[in-house]
Formats: sequence, structure tokens, C-alpha cells
Amino acid sequence: MKIIMSSWLHPALFFFLGSLLLPFFQGKARKALVLLIPVLAIIAVAMAEQGIYGQYRFLNVEGVFGRVDKLSLIFAWVFTIMAFLGALYALHREESGHHIAGFLYVGSSLGAIFAGDYFTLFIFWEIMAFTSVFLIWYRRTKNALDAGFRYLLVHVFGGLLFFTGMMLYYYKTGSFAFESIAPGNAGLAEYLILWGFALNAAVLPLHAWLPDAYPEATVEGAVFLCAFTTKTAVYVLARGFAGFEVLAIMGTAMTVFGVCYAVIENDIRRVLAYHIISQVGYMVAGIGIGTHLAVNGAAAHAFAHILYKALLFMGAGAVLYMTGTVKLTQLGGLYRTMPWTMVFYIVGAVSIAGFPLFSGFVSKSMIVAAAHQEGRLWLMNLLNLAGIGTFLSVGLKVTYFAFFGKGEPVTAKEPPANMLWAMGITSLLCLVIGVYPDVLYILLPFASDYRPYNSHHLSEALQILSFTGLVFFLLLAKLAPEEKINLDVDYFYRKGVWLFLKFDDKVIAVFDNFWGELYRTLGLRALFKSADLSYGFDQRAIDGIVDGSAASTVELGSTVRGLQTGRIQTYIALSLLIFFVVVLLFAVM
Amino acid sequence: MKLAEWIGTLRENLKTLKIVMIVYLAVLVVFDVLLSREDAHFIIDKIYAYWAIFGTIGCFVLIKFSKGIAHMFLAKDEDYYE
Repeated sequence: MKIIMSSWLHPALFFFLGSLLLPFFQGKARKALVLLIPVLAIIAVAMAEQGIYGQYRFLNVEGVFGRVDKLSLIFAWVFTIMAFLGALYALHREESGHHIAGFLYVGSSLGAIFAGDYFTLFIFWEIMAFTSVFLIWYRRTKNALDAGFRYLLVHVFGGLLFFTGMMLYYYKTGSFAFESIAPGNAGLAEYLILWGFALNAAVLPLHAWLPDAYPEATVEGAVFLCAFTTKTAVYVLARGFAGFEVLAIMGTAMTVFGVCYAVIENDIRRVLAYHIISQVGYMVAGIGIGTHLAVNGAAAHAFAHILYKALLFMGAGAVLYMTGTVKLTQLGGLYRTMPWTMVFYIVGAVSIAGFPLFSGFVSKSMIVAAAHQEGRLWLMNLLNLAGIGTFLSVGLKVTYFAFFGKGEPVTAKEPPANMLWAMGITSLLCLVIGVYPDVLYILLPFASDYRPYNSHHLSEALQILSFTGLVFFLLLAKLAPEEKINLDVDYFYRKGVWLFLKFDDKVIAVFDNFWGELYRTLGLRALFKSADLSYGFDQRAIDGIVDGSAASTVELGSTVRGLQTGRIQTYIALSLLIFFVVVLLFAVM
Repeated sequence: MKLAEWIGTLRENLKTLKIVMIVYLAVLVVFDVLLSREDAHFIIDKIYAYWAIFGTIGCFVLIKFSKGIAHMFLAKDEDYYE
């Protein structure tokens, strides 16, 4: 036993090596391999012992591939479990490319959470962006292609924030070590890193990439996407920036912002995407509050959230897969034809809403309780307001208008067995965590004696949820979905690109033409003039003074004229020559 | 699956369902009033059925605010960006 434990196998290895093997397998063998890879990774996480592994030195960087502690392990657990569930859900997909993109994405997320320094983290951070985008592009629609490019554009910008911050941090401290930062010591470098991380956590106002891209992803890809990018960001924020007040405030703002959009969206996957912002808001707020209970809550909520949000995306994906649409205006009455999908979706919905006995209750309440404990009553009330919106939109609105509602507009049946099994197992996990919260609490980074099931918490949660239900049915007519999309801050870069292209067409092109014209007329004339002058200078001045050297001077004059041909190589050669002469002069002197 | 039949039965007996739900809400309020308030630190812990009131008003405000702002300027036709 000791021999196996003394060395550490990075769980990401299975995903990277497995991706290399996948193209060589077909049919049943490939399906087996797709399921085997995450299972091996789960075993690797189960066998991991805490410690520092995989230190390396590259150029001047002291890198660490494996910082294994409680905080990285809880994320590794849920990431590998999620990879298995996502792979099972996607098992029917024929293209191995889709599986490979998913596995590389999971592998790089694992690489990021085990990274002990900014340099290693940055590399995995970027691989994540460039592998996950294929889960959007595999949808093979024009919208998906465009959304994928916007997704990349935004993540490259976030990566730049992170990279700039990381370089400034190195300049300041002489180290890339990724450790917890005290809010009082944070300067420009730290805040640049923080905002680079925050972009991936979809913190306002850097959030619009998420509801823009995820609803355009493939049915199976969205299940992967909703789990890893934002939760890796939650991990790095919890690791580096616990106790930053800006996170407490922005996190709480995210929770309410997300549910407001979820109330008005028509596309189920857009409703769910806005709920990622809302739910990640709870985690960010917990990290911002920064007490042990709050950070524990953030980690627990990330764990619970990955499972129930994936479950919701699986349910919505099953509806999309079987009916071809996820627009609430075109759905209704699915309880007759897709009852299992409905049951699993509802398990996800009551989990995210935080019903007692389901996973959201035992994790979300930790963050709310931490706000209460710290006397942050505004935060607590707003977090609970977001809880109302969560149940209202994901629980009641989507369930009612998709699975009940009026009429039987769509012909549908249950999705393939592998999808149902994935949803069933995920539902079971949500229930198990809700009923036996200790299976989750044992993984938390800090020791805690928090007990979710007490009469005050139960009373609080049941009152909020039940009276939300009451108002929902009173205002049902008001909530009818509409065939619309809603503007968000992506407006600025989507319309902005259009404006830029117009600007390029009308202004830059005109200016460019004008400049070219100016150069052709004025510039060339001036060059000819100066050539004439130097020729005249050769003839009259130099010949007059230095007798006998006239021949060489005439030659020089013609060389100068020869240089003014407008050929770029000549200019470069000339400037290089001048440069070398200057260097030579300095060297000699 | 039997589930669809059960849901059908519930839909046919909406009146009974409504009465059951109203009784359930009343029980929740009574339960909260009976809870001990000895370790209440903050004002919101002392108000009876605070979260019931909060849930009702909060849900109403969320719906009105979100729908209102959508109708005012957020909602656009689906081909808006094309």
C-alpha cells in the first residue's frame, strides 16, 4: 500500500493520455474506454495523499504540478465524478473529437486546480479555453461558430488580464507562487489576477460570455461546460482571494442579476446559463465573506452545484435532443411523453432551489448562514431573494411551461438509455448529499460543526420556497414566456464589432487610401528632389574640395539615388548597416 | 409510467389541491411563530413569519421588476444580432 501511495498520479494524466488513445478505438471498445478514463481518474483522486508533488524548474520558474490538499481535492473529486457522468451522457456521440475535446477540457481543469504556481496555472487556464470552445463548435451551426469565436475572444482577454497581473506580481515579489493573498496587501498586480479569475467565474460585468456561449453548445457539450470553467475559477478565487470585500458584493449582485434574467428568458438553456451566474454568485460571495464557514460553503456549493446544474442541463439537453427546441413558447405537456426526464429535471430543480433533503439545501444554507453569522443582513436578504428567483424560474417557470402547460404541441419520447442513466445517477447523488450531508462535509477544506437540519433553517427555507410558489400561481399569466431575446452587456462587443467594421470600412480605409496617395505624390517628389540635391552637392562641393575623389563621390551619389527606390529591403539593409556602423564606432571608442 | 395518470388525477381535482396547499402555508406560518426566539441576534430573527412575508413580497417584486425592465428595453426580436 505504502509503495503506491508514496508517488502521486496526476488524475489529469488519464484524460490527456486517454484522448490520445481514443481515435484508435471504434464502437463498443471506444464506449468502454470513454467510461474507463474518468473511472481511473476517480481512483487516482481517491488514492491521492496530501502533499506537494511534481516540482519542476523551467527557465527561472519554480513550478508545481501537484499541490494536493483538502481544497484542491474536493474540486478534484467533483470534477472527476462529473467527467464520468458527462461521458456517460455523451456516450451515444459518434465523433471521437467531441469526447477528446471534453476530456482535454476536464484534464486541463484538473491541471489548473492542482497547480501550485501561477505559471503552471496559466498554461492549463489557456488550454481550458481552447479545448472547451470545440464543445460549442461541434454544434455545427453558424450561431455556434460565431458564439465560439466570441467566447474565445473574451477568454483571451481574461487570460491577458491574468498574464499581465502574473508578470507584475513576479516583478514585485520575484516569485510565481500561488498562495493566499491578504486583502490589505493587494495592489495592481493582485487585482489584475483577481479580475482575470473573475472573468472565468462570470463575475459582473465580465459575465456575458457565459449566457452567450453555453446555450449554443452541443447537447452533451453544455453538460461539460457548465461544470468546469466557472468552478475552476471559484477554486482559484477561494485559494487566492478569500476575504476580498469586492467579491462579497459582486457575488451577491451576481445572484440577483442572474435570476432577474432567468425570469424573463425563453430558451431553457439560457435560463440555466443565467442561473450559473446566479449560483456562482453564492460561491463568490462566500469567498468574499471569507470566514471558514463561508469558504466551506463556497466549496460545498461548488460541489453540489456541479451535480445539479449538470443534471438540469442534461434534462434540457434531452428535451432539445428529442424535440429539436428548448424554447418554452414552443413546448408544453411533456410530462406525458418524457416523464422520466421530467422527474430527473425536477430533482435538479428542487436541488438548485434548496429544498430540504436535496443537495442545494445543505450547501447554499452554509453561505447564507455565514452572512447571517457575520451580521451581513443585506447580503443575507439579497442571497435569499436570489433563492426566490431560483425556485421561481428554474423550478416553477421552466417545469410548468415545458412539462405541463397547455396542449401537446410536440411529439417526443424519452431520450436514449445512456442519457437517462446519467440523469438517474446524478439525481441519486443530489439526493444522497441532501440526506447525508456528511458525505460532502467530510471533504470540506476547514473543520466544521455546521448542521443544516435545524428547525430555524427548515422554517426559513420552507417559508421562502412555499410562498414563492403561492405568488407564482397568482401571477402565472404575467410570467408567460415570450419569443424574445434579452440584451446583456455582450451588446457592446457584438454591436461594437459591427461598428468597428463600419469604422474600418468608412474611416480607416479612407484614411489609409489618403495616406497612400499622399505618400505617392508628396513623398516620392520629395525623395527625387533630395536625390537631385545630393547629386548637385557631389558635383559642386565635394568635387571642388577633394580633387581626384570625384569618381567615388559620383558613385556615392548614384547609390543614394539608387536607395530611394521605395523598395523596403533596401531601407532595412541601409538601417542595419547604419546600426552596425554605430555599434562598431562605440566598440572601438 | 403511472406518473402521468397521477398528474392527470391531480389536475382534475385542482380545488382540493388548492385547499391542501393553503392549509400547508398556514401550518408553516404557525410553525414559525412557535419557534423559540431566545438566541435571536438580529431584528429579522425576531419578526414572526419574516421569511413568509419576504418570500411573498420578494417574488412579487422580482416578477414585476424583471418583466418590466424586459418590456422597457431589454427584450428584442430573436434576429436582433443578425
